[in-house]
Formats: sequence, C-alpha cells, structure tokens
Amino acid sequence: MLLILKAGVIFASLFAVVSLSVLVFKTFSFGRSSLHSEPRSQGGKGVLYVFGRGMMPWEKESAGKHLPTYLGGLVYHTGIFAALVYLASRVFSVELSASLILIFRWGAAVGLLSGMALFLKRILLPVIRKISCPDDFAANLLVDVFLAFTVIRTYVESFAPFYYLVAIVMLLYIPVGKIRHCFFFFYAKMLLGSFYGRRGVLPSGTRRD
Amino acid sequence: MSGDTERRDPVEEKIKRLKAEDFEKALKVFRQKLNQEYVTYLHSCVHCGLCADSCHYYLSQKDIQSLPAYKLSLATEVFKKYWSFMGRNVSWWTGAKKLDHKMVREWVDSLFGRCTLCGRCSLNCTVGINIHYLIRAARSALVSLGLVPPGLQSTVDTAIEKGNNMGIPKQDWIETVEWLEEELQEEVGDKKARLPLDKKGAKLFYTVNPREPMFFPLSIVAAGKIFYAARESWTFSSDNYDVTNYGLYSGDDEAAGIMSQRLVESRNKLGCETLVLAECGHGFNSNRWEAPEWLTQKYGFEVRSILEVVADYIREGRIQLDPSRNPDPVTLHDPCNLVRLGGIVEEQRFILKHAVSHFVEMHPNREKNYCCGGGGGQLAMTRFAQRRLEAGKIKADQIRATGAKIVAAPCHNCIDQLLELNKHYKLGVQIKTVSEIAADALVLKKAKAG
Repeated sequence: MLLILKAGVIFASLFAVVSLSVLVFKTFSFGRSSLHSEPRSQGGKGVLYVFGRGMMPWEKESAGKHLPTYLGGLVYHTGIFAALVYLASRVFSVELSASLILIFRWGAAVGLLSGMALFLKRILLPVIRKISCPDDFAANLLVDVFLAFTVIRTYVESFAPFYYLVAIVMLLYIPVGKIRHCFFFFYAKMLLGSFYGRRGVLPSGTRRD
Repeated sequence: MSGDTERRDPVEEKIKRLKAEDFEKALKVFRQKLNQEYVTYLHSCVHCGLCADSCHYYLSQKDIQSLPAYKLSLATEVFKKYWSFMGRNVSWWTGAKKLDHKMVREWVDSLFGRCTLCGRCSLNCTVGINIHYLIRAARSALVSLGLVPPGLQSTVDTAIEKGNNMGIPKQDWIETVEWLEEELQEEVGDKKARLPLDKKGAKLFYTVNPREPMFFPLSIVAAGKIFYAARESWTFSSDNYDVTNYGLYSGDDEAAGIMSQRLVESRNKLGCETLVLAECGHGFNSNRWEAPEWLTQKYGFEVRSILEVVADYIREGRIQLDPSRNPDPVTLHDPCNLVRLGGIVEEQRFILKHAVSHFVEMHPNREKNYCCGGGGGQLAMTRFAQRRLEAGKIKADQIRATGAKIVAAPCHNCIDQLLELNKHYKLGVQIKTVSEIAADALVLKKAKAG
C-alpha cells in the first residue's frame, strides 16, 4: 500500500513537472519578442538585483509597507520548501537524523501558521477577498493541509498513507491552479529584471539626498 | 461614470452597439499583442494585493477598481477564458470571464480611466509582473473597437493627420521659430544666434513637444540658448518635430509607428547623427525604447534625451552654469516614462546640482517616484479629469513637503498636470523644465560665442 502511494507521489511529481513544461511551452506559442532598441545597460544586472537586493523590504516598497505579510510569505514558502524536501526523503526512504526531522517539523509548522494567517487575511480583508477566486483559497488551503500533515507525519509514522494522499493531490494541482506560480514567480521576476536592467533603471539608485 | 454621462456618452453608445463579431475582433487583437513574456505575466499574479499602495489612483480613491491587481485581473480573466485550459472549462473556479459588454465597459473605465501606465505597480509587484504592459495590451484591443476615449483618440488623429498633436500648420511653426530666434538673439545679445531649421548635416536633430511653440515658447528659447552656449551643431525640422506619441497611451501601435517613423525619416533626410528628444517623458520612452519595437527595426543612430546632452556639456566644460542665479529652493519631479521606464535618472540631478543653489529631493524619488497623474493620456481624456486631479494629491503632498519654490519637471505632460495641481492644491510653486532652469544659470562667454 505504502509503496503504491510513494509511486503515486513520484507520478504526481512527474505530472506536475511535465504539465508545467507544457504550460511553459505553450507560452512560447505566443511568440517571443526580439528587442530592437539599443540597450542602455545590461539586463543581467537587473536580474541579479530583483533576485537579491530588490527583494529586501527597504528596497521594495510593497514589502517594506507590509512587513508582516512579507515575512509571512517568506516563512510560508520556506516552510513549503522544507516540507517538500521532507516528502522526498520519505518517498526515497532516506534516513534522517533527529535534528533534521526537528528542522523539517518546525519549518512546516511555522510555514503552516503563516499560511493560515495569509488565508485568514484573504478572507477577512475585503480588498483581497474581492480579487480572489476559489482557486486562490483552494491553493492556499491545500498547501496548508499538506504542511499540517507533514508536521503530523514527523510525529506519527502510521499517518503516512494520509500524508502521501494529500501530497499527491497537491502535486497534481500544481500545474492546473494557482500553485503554478512556484515556477512562474522566478520566470516573471527574471523577465522584469531583464527589462528594467537593459533600460538602466535597475539596479535601483535611490538615495535619500 | 454617472448615469447622466452614460446616457449621452459616445463611448457608452458604442459599447451598447457592440456585436459578437466586434468582440471576436477585439480578442484577435488582444491575442496578437500577447507574446511569451506577457503570457508568463498573465499566469503569474497571486492576488496578494500588495501592489495597492504603489498606485496613486488607489491611494486617492481607495476603491477596488483602482487596485493594480484588479486592473490586471480584467485582462487576466479574459485571457484565461479564451486561452487557458482551466479558464475555458472551469471558469468560475479561476475567475475567467468573457469579453462582453460589461467587461469592455470595465476595461474602458479602469484601464483607461484609472491608470497612467506609469509602471510603479510593476516595480512593486511581489512576483514581478510588468502590469502596465498588459493594461496597454488590453487598451490595444479597445483601439480595434473604436473605444479609445474621444479626447485621447483625437490627439492621436490630429498627430497622424497634421503631423503634430496640436495641429500646428507648417507655416505657423516656421514663423514661431523665426520669432523665437529673435528672442534668443536678444537674450544672448548676439544677432548671429540661430534656431536652425532644416540644416542638413547638423550633428543633432532636436524635437519638441508641440505644446512648446503653442504655450511654452520659453522652453524652446532655453534649449536654443544652451545649444548656442555649447556652440552645438543642431537643427529643427520644418516638417516633423513632434516628440510626443499618444499612440503609446492609446495602445495603437500602428499609429505610434507612423509618428515615430516620421522622426526617423526627417533625421535621415537631414543626415543628423543623433535624434535628441526634448523634455517629454512619454516622447522619450516612445522614441528611445518603444519605437524600434513598433517599427521592428534597429536604429542605426543614437537617440538621446536633451538632459543627457546638457549633462555632457557640463561634464565636458562646454557650458558654464552659475547656481547663484537660481537661489530659490528647487525640487525635481521624476516623470515616469523618462525615469522609471526610460532610465534617465541621474542626468537631471547632475544638471540641477550645477544650476541651482538649493536642490532638494522629493521622497520617494527616482524610479520609485509617484506619478503626477498626467500620463497615460489622462490629460487628453477630460471624462476622467476629476479622478486625475484627485490622484495627483500624493504628488502635491510630496511637493509641499519639500518646501521648494520651484519644481523642475522634465516633461510637458507632467508640467501641465503639475500646473493644475499647483492651482487645485494651492502649492504656490513655479513649474519649469530642467533646460529652462539651466538656461537661467548659463554664463555666456560673449567673445567666444560671438
């Protein structure tokens, strides 16, 4: 039974990767724009900026003005990453030390708390609620359940079947719903960095003169 | 839009008359405007809403329709409905919506009426979505339906038909330049000072905003004075001199391409090395960055802002400025199209620091500046004038906080909006171009120049 579920996790992971690849391939069917204007600076500098200094709350106003949400998002996504690594370790039966299990447990737990806070925010704030669709709520909930089951699984080995089932559902949902941004986030950011980099706008030069 | 306006509104009348084939046509255009980059962005919004505070419309209106994520969603919902598997099959789950009368009405009101295409939300997007480009793509679809708000459309039409957006006849332009040349000669005390027209082989081909000859002739004299002091080889064209390009704002790439091509042709005809763009934010963005894409051609010549040229004159010692001639505190407004979207960030500061005694920055500044509210074609769309003024409050507050007496604004669209804000919010400041301020500080070496 467990073996089948583990195979299911691997299959669902492959499905997510292949489907995301197809989705990306489909974006190429819209055509790539080759740029004709003479660059003022290097796109690469902008890319480095947006993935580095540009993500800091003192550089990005939307992060700086919403520090709790920004930090919540960081913790949430770090927790998800930890939970995914833990999932891989369980599927491939990798021996984990007690301290590593503790790190994954706490990573997922804190991530879960942040995820739930973001979910509540989406429900309670009228502006965010109005721009949300069922997919936004479902994606958040699904990942939160996965994180919760991860925490439980670190305590209770017999919980594994439920844990793998939730992981399968979440992985299958990645390419069809909002969770696809796990890939598009990096790609969109890279495009934006490159755009403003070649125009010489980023890296930011803001100083308080 | 109020009910009263709706009844008599030509835009609303057009919307009511739209048929299925019209929507198909608009979708076709929207699809054509999307490329791989745009589609990536359309897949990426996580509806976090953190873009809210980046938008001057949202800050002033506090309504959902002004939220950048909401404006983006208007384009995303349509995209999903027609070009995504889940959107086509489970619309309610993903929020996908048809392009219909209601959606078109919202597009006009929100994408034209609540956005200056300033790009501030794009820089602040947590994911990194170039939001304003997607809004412009949706505007392009509205162009195909003839639903560009009348004031903006007529500005584009005038530019296409008459060669400049103010419809100035060629003879009037020539006579204005001749009159301003006399002004320049008087100003510099040299009868040989020129505002050259159609001078073949000149190094620089200089363009202006047609509002300059109409309403701000001193801007032209100021530029002429700087070129005179730098002993520059430059010229105007008697045919094509309009730096503006409202096709950028309407979303009409074809019209935008025609306007930009005219400047290219005049530059080629005159054989000038460099196309120099006057202090006009969207004119700079259009002709420096977008036009080669509209025309799908690499320019074989340099395109520069007058600010880059003047900054070079100072660095090379070709002009001398005396900051004591501008003793009042001066602050600087960063036009979005010139700075955040254009990359001209430090040149204007360099010039002002040499030209004025007391320079004070607004906060935030540079690429993080707030839009004044005059871009995106807003000044031409009178139906949204009240919103535009309200959205300008944040800029008015910024100006007031500096305590400056003069606001330098290297953009004529911004100047028009700032003049209105000055009056509306009783700021009591003077609004000038950077060139005007630099020209006031010029130390002329008469013997050399004469």
